[in-house]
Amino acid sequence: MKENLFVSVSPHITEAKNSVGRIMTDVLISLCPVVVAAVFFFGYGVMINIAVAVGACIGFELLYDAGVRGKFKKGYFKNASIKDGSAAVTGVILALNFPTFLKVDAWDLNIYRANINFPTTADILFSFDTVIMLIVASAFAIVVVKMLFGGIGKNFVNPAAAGRVFAFMTVSLAAVQTIGLGLDASTGATWLSGSTGGVSGSVLLNMFIGNTGSAAVGETCAIAIIIGFIYLVVRKVIDFRLPLVIVGSTFVFALLLSGITGLVSGEMASAEDVFSNALAHVLSGGLLFGAVYMATDYATSPNTPLGRAIFGIGIALITVLIRVFASAPEGMSFAILIMNIVAPLIDRYIYPKPFGYEKPEKKKKEKEEAAA
Amino acid sequence: MSFTFKGGVHPPANKEFSDRKNVEYMPPPQTVYIPLSQHIGKPAKAIVAVGDKVAEGQKIGEADGFVSVPVFSSVCGTVKAVENRATAFGKCKHIVIERSSDEEAPAAFRFPPLDSRDGASILRRIQESGIVGMGGAGFPVHVKLSPKEKIDKFIINAAECEPYITCDYRIMLEYTEQFLRGALYMAKTVGLDKAIVGIESNKTDAADFVSRVAKEKGYNVEVAVLKTKYPQGAEKQLIYAMTGRVVKAGGLPSGVGVIVSNVHTALSVALAVEDGQPLYKRIMTVTGDAVEEPKNFWCFTGTTYDDAVNFCGGAKTGEDAPVKCLNGGPMMGVSVSDETIACTRTTSCILLLGKKSAFTGNSMPCINCGKCASACPMKLMPMYIDSYMRTGDLKGAVKYGAKYCIGCGCCAYVCPAKRPLLQSIKLAKKKSMEAKL
Repeated sequence: MKENLFVSVSPHITEAKNSVGRIMTDVLISLCPVVVAAVFFFGYGVMINIAVAVGACIGFELLYDAGVRGKFKKGYFKNASIKDGSAAVTGVILALNFPTFLKVDAWDLNIYRANINFPTTADILFSFDTVIMLIVASAFAIVVVKMLFGGIGKNFVNPAAAGRVFAFMTVSLAAVQTIGLGLDASTGATWLSGSTGGVSGSVLLNMFIGNTGSAAVGETCAIAIIIGFIYLVVRKVIDFRLPLVIVGSTFVFALLLSGITGLVSGEMASAEDVFSNALAHVLSGGLLFGAVYMATDYATSPNTPLGRAIFGIGIALITVLIRVFASAPEGMSFAILIMNIVAPLIDRYIYPKPFGYEKPEKKKKEKEEAAA
Repeated sequence: MSFTFKGGVHPPANKEFSDRKNVEYMPPPQTVYIPLSQHIGKPAKAIVAVGDKVAEGQKIGEADGFVSVPVFSSVCGTVKAVENRATAFGKCKHIVIERSSDEEAPAAFRFPPLDSRDGASILRRIQESGIVGMGGAGFPVHVKLSPKEKIDKFIINAAECEPYITCDYRIMLEYTEQFLRGALYMAKTVGLDKAIVGIESNKTDAADFVSRVAKEKGYNVEVAVLKTKYPQGAEKQLIYAMTGRVVKAGGLPSGVGVIVSNVHTALSVALAVEDGQPLYKRIMTVTGDAVEEPKNFWCFTGTTYDDAVNFCGGAKTGEDAPVKCLNGGPMMGVSVSDETIACTRTTSCILLLGKKSAFTGNSMPCINCGKCASACPMKLMPMYIDSYMRTGDLKGAVKYGAKYCIGCGCCAYVCPAKRPLLQSIKLAKKKSMEAKL
């Protein structure tokens, strides 16, 4: 018994099923319904996007380690940082944050179904522009946001949100021309970039199912996102309260802000309009997807329940403000980025008091001593 | 009563190794190494010299001050040496006694029977018998039973929330009456005539048995069944679960009128009061997946880990060979590298873990998931204490409550990145006490 006894500080057992790899696997599994819905509504080009984004994220992380850290030696892959799976998660979320097909085709590299003179987005099989944007976004997300700040757990904002915003800001021409491919093309462009009035029941239903025909592929199908959310909560990967706070307070803020402006400007006539408008705010854009998959990122959200509530309300407020007053469809991404930066500040001031902690009552003691 | 507390974890109990094993008697070993410091407080002073003949139960170390207890010889024999040796917690003076053959052995020493069983004489008997808290901390019981505050609740901690350990469970089943009487003796010293026993819900058979015996014998003992969760047996969490009172952080249970004691301590008190037996042996569990034959048995203090494990068939070899030898349970136990360390009054368990159950892997970077903070029963922020300690910022670590850590290990247990969080927190606690922050 004497040889090879290992000495360490307690505890000497750990929760076997609980590891970073398992958490990342769970996130990937929870993304499956979203991917399936995206493929159903947007075609198999989604799979190409995901493959490109995941490949790019993993590749950039490997390259970073190899080049900057100079670790590309023998046995490197055994301890490679990509093995934790976070790069793959970033890749999938990034791909789901992009529209399937971009129609800029500046270099004439897109592949179409048939050789026709004026192809529409429906005819695109492979979009070179999307691929380029995804690679740019992956590079920014992995190298600048994550690895330069110290790798997993040290990213200062959500890598996927930052990558998406970066790519859309730098290649803005493409962003303007994002038009997707849906089963029912009649709904047209994103609801967010246009109407501010009331929304009909059928449109709301389509939003819930995901049949909106445009916008980022992962964000449209509310049902798939809710399934993923339930899986994450059951597996105890995320705090179920944060997405609920975000969705709930978005609804309230939309009811207040969008409703008031709509009533004042006369775009909304009845209470029904105001209500359906607020509901549409919740169902449209990246709100649900962002609330479940991006705002809950461990590294960039506060660590206490109260802190997370403040964080969620902040995201909802900024999202609604951007949507109503700036009419930009990327409100959710910006809101997440802004609140990510605020999160450390929240954690600085909101942390639990130890069990049984009482504030040292200095003044009282001094008074007592003086009286004595 | 809420029967539980906030936070905590659910490690596999693994009690099936030894919970059906009756308490056995281990034959006294050939040589015992009795540490003079088996408790919190000043070590005892040796009162024997090399070559002296000692009897079983004879006092060999005198208490040095109030917060100190006497030490007794566990075998009859000759003092071979008084030397410094390693214990699980550091180094202290040991008295090495070689056992003489049984024929020439005088009768074991016993204190004379108590004239009256009032609080003061029971307390004096507890003090002279050298009884300490036998759950693991080893705080002298006579000190604990002399509080300044008024006490209105006396609790016996029978949660035994640590995985693997079964000695308290076996005492409740096999020494039921004695341990209940011991509990009432202790309650008497603080002016109470009632004791409450808190048992986790995974040991309902023991809870039923104890309450039945108490009823039959007419003992004024109440049994409370608590939710099974680690660390249910942590003093502050137990008091909160059983009385709803919150012990002040950094304060003692007596501050809220409660005294908590361990099952084995109660048994030792009963033996001291009724039989006059000083504390020189205890029931111990030797268990783990790397032990051939896990057992609960009476172990003489000073028995080496090697002798104790050999009594249980020895350690397994080959694939199942132990990679960790622990003094105590897997969550709070101290790992030792030297199997010649001696068992003390506070060694409730020797746990040998094979490589399948012990964690010996590497840690990953923190991903800030916050699982440690939600598992912490003291509501600390282990991830921040860890990161502040790694940058050498003691004030930051104290801000997140490092000095209130109870060392339960829930944070490191749930950590998905397998970070040694408790190591940083213990360091922070020690340094902040030194710096008086």
